[in-house]
Amino acid sequence: MEIARNLIALLFFPSGLFLLAAGMFYEWVDRKLLAQYQNRIGPRWFQPLADFVKLLAKEEIIPEGSNPYLFIILPVIALAGGLTAALYVPVFGVPPAHSFNGDLIVTIYLLSLLTLCMGLAGSNTMDRFSLVGATRTLTQLFAYEAPFLLALLGPALAAGSWQIGEITIYTSQRWLILTQPLGFIVVVIGLMGKLELPPFDAPEAETEIVAGALTEYSGRGLALFRLGKGVELVVGLTLIAAFYLGGVSNPLFFLLKTLALLLVIAGLQALLARLRIDQTVGLWWRYGALLVLVQWIFMIGGRMIL
Amino acid sequence: MQKKMTGEQFTVPIGPQHPALKEPAHFSITVDGEIVTNAFVRLGYAHRGIEKAAEERNWVQTQYLLERICGICSHIHSTAYCLGVEKLAGIEASPRAQAIRVLVAELERIHSHLLWLGVAAHEAGFDTLFMYSWRDRESVMDILEGLSGNRVNYSANLLGGVKCDIDSAQDEAIRKGLEFLKERLKHYLDIVTSDALFLLRTRGIGVMTRNQAEVLGAVGPTARASNVAREIRVEAPYSMYMEIPPIIILETNGDLEARFVVRIKEMIESCRLINEILDYLPPGELTVRVPRRIKPAETIMRVEAPRGELFYFIKSNGTDKPERVRVRTPTICNMTSVVKLAIGSQLADIPVILAGIDPCFSCNDRSVLVDRRGNKACIWTWEELRQYGIRYYYGDRT
Amino acid sequence: MKIGAMLSDVTYSLFRKPITQQYPKTRQEAPARLRGYLEWNPEKCTGCGICAMDCPANAIEMIVIDKKEKQFVLRYHVDRCIFCAQCVHSCMHGCLKMRFDVWELATLDKEHFTALFGDEDDIEQVLAESA
Repeated sequence: MEIARNLIALLFFPSGLFLLAAGMFYEWVDRKLLAQYQNRIGPRWFQPLADFVKLLAKEEIIPEGSNPYLFIILPVIALAGGLTAALYVPVFGVPPAHSFNGDLIVTIYLLSLLTLCMGLAGSNTMDRFSLVGATRTLTQLFAYEAPFLLALLGPALAAGSWQIGEITIYTSQRWLILTQPLGFIVVVIGLMGKLELPPFDAPEAETEIVAGALTEYSGRGLALFRLGKGVELVVGLTLIAAFYLGGVSNPLFFLLKTLALLLVIAGLQALLARLRIDQTVGLWWRYGALLVLVQWIFMIGGRMIL
Repeated sequence: MQKKMTGEQFTVPIGPQHPALKEPAHFSITVDGEIVTNAFVRLGYAHRGIEKAAEERNWVQTQYLLERICGICSHIHSTAYCLGVEKLAGIEASPRAQAIRVLVAELERIHSHLLWLGVAAHEAGFDTLFMYSWRDRESVMDILEGLSGNRVNYSANLLGGVKCDIDSAQDEAIRKGLEFLKERLKHYLDIVTSDALFLLRTRGIGVMTRNQAEVLGAVGPTARASNVAREIRVEAPYSMYMEIPPIIILETNGDLEARFVVRIKEMIESCRLINEILDYLPPGELTVRVPRRIKPAETIMRVEAPRGELFYFIKSNGTDKPERVRVRTPTICNMTSVVKLAIGSQLADIPVILAGIDPCFSCNDRSVLVDRRGNKACIWTWEELRQYGIRYYYGDRT
Repeated sequence: MKIGAMLSDVTYSLFRKPITQQYPKTRQEAPARLRGYLEWNPEKCTGCGICAMDCPANAIEMIVIDKKEKQFVLRYHVDRCIFCAQCVHSCMHGCLKMRFDVWELATLDKEHFTALFGDEDDIEQVLAESA
């Protein structure tokens, strides 16, 4: 019974196929919103699915000089990390499939695993563009990871627990966006950095280094990486909605809150130009860390006073 | 693609197929981390043998061949050619035709700069500005379509005059379109000078001092952004610019932001010029008859293309075909400045620096045969060129 | 210095319809001066052939059946034509015109790319000769 329940959670709902479909849906909404902001029509609803099917049909070319086992296994690990992270997060408004003390750190680590896999994939191939892209990916990982982590730990501190289930019980009674606004700003922009959305898309800057770390990927590997990115988008949005926007207690709230967040994120994407990698790092280590530290000082000070 | 390593540095090839380039060229950039230490440019991918083909076509047909050297400066190429041929034949087009020529040239300048604005914003990563400036470009293209019949490559010129006239309906459409454009252009000027993240990518990047610009021979808006006042419409006015001179737009900084500002201000200045031409438009006929055979002579013609100074040398030999047409386009003057400015900057800035000179690679390509065995210069006929091609691809490579 | 100078554009677009024209569902009306398909009015044609001489792309062929009787057939290669309208202006009698309503010329059949203008029997004669 237990095994069947676990298998269903892993393969179909809430992780697995349902999450993959949700990842494609959110990717479509993001592209459609971006197009609407730019006064044009975006893609039709089945575009991400069509991309996926097309990529599966293409030949997978393993470049010379790269380690073929790593080349093939890295996209699988990336996607697996994303799907596993969803098991601890209340996606779709249902309580997490598994929960234990300290799973917030594990979730964040699993999300970073995806970025790490992309960086490794880039440095695995002998292509100059991939090397530059991989360097930029890993540099950006160092840049936003600390402020993003601290901003996610703010609600954890307020709730007094490291367990996502307990934090969501605490945040469903109060909207932390009102009491920790700086943390909210940092976490939203941090999510954009993690997902490599503009203005932080220097690692995959199309006009400079073709496609960054994923330049040499085609066919199945690229399809899995893209699915992994979609899954990361859903999990990240769920975390922010659960922590700062008053919890996701049922599917309707989940949908509304994550889509509202996506509206803001797509707006920021449309509004801001791409930053160079050194400007990104400078921005994060100066303003990002500063903002989140100020937030923490206020929070701890507030708790001590009250 | 093998990785070449010399110590800590490796070479990143940009082109000939690269998302940053709209047309093929090859830049091989040696980087050390993110800093560029050496740059090398190789052109010639879009060479089509147009100057050679012009020798086989009569004066009327050559105009259309030269118009297609570049898609976005097509009218100014044909204007330079028609002015040169009219000079050879000793004829001057009527004032009305000249005014319409200049009007279409100014509209083309607006079109070209709007296209460039979008492309340069896309290179910097600012896709929204790209989409909006290309949306507004549609209004210019609609004006040009109503006036000449085509959105790009509007063959408005004839030898001796123009094809299309401006009546009151056209006049109204042009004025209305320009009203809308002026508002949007002022908005873009505001964006380019005040958006914080965009300025991080453009302010202080690719600085070319006035001395460097003069030594490297930069022309056009690239030079005017470094305070070098080179503007053919004012220095050597041709056609209607003697009556309605434009104002030279200069900026002193010489960085990328200055190039953006110069081009947007030039667009606003073009709007003013067009309105003045519409007010001034003299009555008259549209074309003057040009003889089919032109007596032997040679002439040069300099005009101001959207990218800089365009130079034509035309030689006739008494028949109905030109003897030699030589075109020197402005991009080739600005290309060395890219290579010089690239060294010392970051890899992420290379596409924006390249886009900042408004490169038009189709205009660019020359072909020079260096024959090390002999010491003489020779002129090849069409047939010799064909035979060489056959030998090169199918036979011995002599 | 402000962050997000395009904010007014971006928020305004959120509530506006996209500006993309949904071709082929909706078609913009072509302006009257659009240079589309060539049209030949044989009434005033003298068969001088200047249009064929001046065409930059060799898209017009003037086939003379009988010059005295003014029997001409014009062969027009649509795939070679660059729609420059030089022939329209070269013709001293104004026989040529470019239509503004026929401009969607893509086709799957290469036969449509060679058009013969003229009288019915003249065209038949030309086709018989070339067959």
